[in-house]
Amino acid sequence: MIYMYPETIVYLIMAVSSILSVVAVYLAIMERDLVRAVLYSAIQSGLYTILYYFLMAPDIVLVYLPVAVGLIPGVLLILISKTERVEKE
Amino acid sequence: MNLEFVNSYLLIITLTSLLVNSIIAIYGIFYRPHYIKKVIALTILSDTMNTFAIYLGYRRWIDNVNPRPPVLTTPPTDEALDSFIRQAVDPLPQALVLTAVVIGLAVTLFLVFQGYILYTHYKTLDMREIKKLKG
Repeated sequence: MIYMYPETIVYLIMAVSSILSVVAVYLAIMERDLVRAVLYSAIQSGLYTILYYFLMAPDIVLVYLPVAVGLIPGVLLILISKTERVEKE
Repeated sequence: MNLEFVNSYLLIITLTSLLVNSIIAIYGIFYRPHYIKKVIALTILSDTMNTFAIYLGYRRWIDNVNPRPPVLTTPPTDEALDSFIRQAVDPLPQALVLTAVVIGLAVTLFLVFQGYILYTHYKTLDMREIKKLKG
């Protein structure tokens, strides 16, 4: 069954990962704890990496994955540790 | 079994999700009060726009053949170039997005240090309070 419709399977994976990225973005924007917001945005970046891979851009994957999952959350976590952690009402 | 309708539907779901992502990110930039939350929303918005740019260069499958990444791995004979032109996706948006990712990293680092200076100056990163404070 799976081997018969590879195109549909690829588009299904893309659709599922983009819907999950909507959930991750919503949680990242609405979360009050900034550390958890940064982690949700890292999850969103990982889902976008799947999307880039299936959009046939493996060179973007190689650059985007360490930048958006590693460097930017790391720098933001350092900033949070030096400033304040909770977003007030 | 013809799945053309399902394929188009799934791609439309992907694009709509990206659109919703960009709308949520714009909401986060303008209406969330905290500085770090604004920076996170800005990175999400730039990533979403990069994904739109890559999608512009994408092409659908032709006769159940996967589109190739725009990398020529064999010597450029006529047959290799011919199959490359028929199958590869557009390399130009990918080159632009590669640049945009690195520039986005530099901008984010600049905003992070700006936030640290704001915190040492005002002792808060809540934009509503910074707006009220003078000097």
